[in-house]
Amino acid sequence: MAGGVLAVWVFYLAPMLVQSMVGEFQELLVSQVALALFEIILFLFSLFLVLIPVSNALKEEGGVAQVELMLKAPVRPGDVLVGEFMGKTPIYGIFATIAAGLFTALLTPLGLSFVQTAVIILMAFLTCLGSFWVGTVVAAVARTTIGRTAKGKDIGKALAFILALPMVAVFYAMMNGSIFNLLLDPGTDGLVKTLLGLFPSSWAAEVIVAFARNPANIGAVGMLTATRIGGMLVFMAATLAIGWKVTDRAYSLEPASMGVTVVGPDGAFFKAVKRLGGGGSFGSLLVSSLKDYSRRMENLSQIGYILGLVVVINFTFVDDATGAQMMGLLMSTVMALFLCSEATIRGKEALFIYRKTPGGVARLMKAKLLQAWLFVIPVMVAIWGFSAWRFNLAFSVPFLMGMGNALLTAMANATMSMGLSFTNPAYTQKSTAYMINVQAIAFIVLGTMILPDIVLDMPWLQMPLAWAVGLVLLYTGYRKLSNME
Amino acid sequence: MNSLIETKGLSKYYGKGNEIKAVDGLDLTVYEGETFGLLGPNGAGKTTVVRLLNCIIKPSGGTASVKGYDILEQPDDVKRVTGMLAESPGLYEKLSGYEFLEFMGALYDVPGDVLAGRIDELLKLFGLDDRRDHLIEGYSSGMKQKLLLAAALIHDPPIVFLDEPTSTLDPRAAHMVKELIEELADSAGKTIFMCSHLLPVVEELCDRIGIINQGRLIAVGTVEEIIAQTEKETLEEAFIALTGGVDNGELLAWREHNVQP
Repeated sequence: MAGGVLAVWVFYLAPMLVQSMVGEFQELLVSQVALALFEIILFLFSLFLVLIPVSNALKEEGGVAQVELMLKAPVRPGDVLVGEFMGKTPIYGIFATIAAGLFTALLTPLGLSFVQTAVIILMAFLTCLGSFWVGTVVAAVARTTIGRTAKGKDIGKALAFILALPMVAVFYAMMNGSIFNLLLDPGTDGLVKTLLGLFPSSWAAEVIVAFARNPANIGAVGMLTATRIGGMLVFMAATLAIGWKVTDRAYSLEPASMGVTVVGPDGAFFKAVKRLGGGGSFGSLLVSSLKDYSRRMENLSQIGYILGLVVVINFTFVDDATGAQMMGLLMSTVMALFLCSEATIRGKEALFIYRKTPGGVARLMKAKLLQAWLFVIPVMVAIWGFSAWRFNLAFSVPFLMGMGNALLTAMANATMSMGLSFTNPAYTQKSTAYMINVQAIAFIVLGTMILPDIVLDMPWLQMPLAWAVGLVLLYTGYRKLSNME
Repeated sequence: MNSLIETKGLSKYYGKGNEIKAVDGLDLTVYEGETFGLLGPNGAGKTTVVRLLNCIIKPSGGTASVKGYDILEQPDDVKRVTGMLAESPGLYEKLSGYEFLEFMGALYDVPGDVLAGRIDELLKLFGLDDRRDHLIEGYSSGMKQKLLLAAALIHDPPIVFLDEPTSTLDPRAAHMVKELIEELADSAGKTIFMCSHLLPVVEELCDRIGIINQGRLIAVGTVEEIIAQTEKETLEEAFIALTGGVDNGELLAWREHNVQP
């Protein structure tokens, strides 16, 4: 079955998909930046495959309990690890299939021989599965060490967001061509090759580029091919052996700790936030809510992801201040997605704390809404500040009015997101409610932009509509939480 | 004695056609200053009763009053006069113990000048003073239970609901909590409404108990009265007699179908 899918992808679908870009790709392959570029792409791809299992293992709930069950059963830890790897291999095989198919499809028009195609498929599979095996072993160790601590779980969730950023950056840099200019510099090119040449992913890149430059002539690059395949096989064998050896440690429930986190007295920021909340009980609630939010690495990584994305897009696609400001608007949608369900994701029991207290639901909603605004406002100001710095914009009245408009839009989007969170509470990120909310908020936010602006041709309606939808969702959320059973 | 909690036909039904009767026609009176224990097997409806009486969920039928306040008409007043230790409590794990109590105090509008001193005293009482600035995520389950107990008392309510207060505590901490409950009732005049399935704890602490099974209150009285009603010798035997148990003959019946490896 898998072989059939691979064959269809490699020999039919992928060639069709890449037909339009073959010309440019062939030029790229013979250029001097080809090897370094392929090394970067394959390295990031491998890193991705290593980090995905690690991130999943760290953030999963009940992982340690499963390990305990396995340790109790008469099964060797090595068998468990291999079983885990084999069980997930078909899924990761899809990644390998896609990678192999893309490379062969792009190279086939150059006239590769059958053996060369087979070698490329082999290298793609060895790279993907080797990375995934390393990821599985590291994940197993991480699960029973730092994964048993709250801090470890936090790191896992943070990693899930941030690990996509380097891939996005390279992808965008390729789309606008800036990475090619960078690699044309011999110093940068050499540095990349030296640093990444140590990794097996680069050996696959070397073979692919060598084949592209010597199509249907494997003899010309026979030594290079043999040594790289040999190296890859040795690497696979070595990692399998090492992984097998460390399984006893990986599946161990010996005590582990990462130390405790001790907090100090409130600094100037939290004191200011408390004053912002009126200084009394509500100010304290707002500060508590904000502390709980800001001490989660997952949330900080979301902010880092947004700001990183802003920088990447600015330097790859944005040529003028208008573009930068449009991108700010787009980021407010991303922020609404990140905020979605944040208010309820700590579980129903956490909401019961508010339900138990007088007027608790209204105060929870007020605190969470203010907290959301305190998240979006500085990020939007940073985005506008960055565009002002990059394009030498003066802090004039039109600029400040534009920024005010963007801030109000971002706040309205955050209000819609919070309202939806309360209307359809999601208590875990795996719940159906969470999936629905994330998709629905994207639809709602974009709808309040597109409907007045493009469909009705009444751009002035955009802001009132966004706020009206936000307030309606907040009201329905209040009703829902007040009557929650 | 004044009645402080009074329920009349209090019911909570779930599911299609209300086929799940979590609480069914509960008539109960709890008097001022007494320690009342609600006993029942898992899933009997104990936690639902506590949630109903704290206005967290709404009844499907019947009504109740807590310190004279109607749970449907005056929920905020009810919430102000009760403290609650939930069985599965939500905790803000990224707050320190001190910050969590500060947060809970703020939710009940405890004045700032009173709150700081009260937090200090409660942290000392529960032996958490040296961990006051550590994030809750690093606390053991016993420490979390103690912190939640402190949170239930932060606004010094006249009525305290405790849902399985000692279930996760070590013997020393459990002993301290039992003494605290006794002190709260005897010296501070609090009314304690406690849910548990730990019979010795209930037997030791409670003036009266109620036994609930499948949502229905099936017995109320002192421990001696309940034992006498069932004509048994211990509370455990009386509890089993009232709620049902497994015959000794059934205990190993599963082995008869076992295939030797």
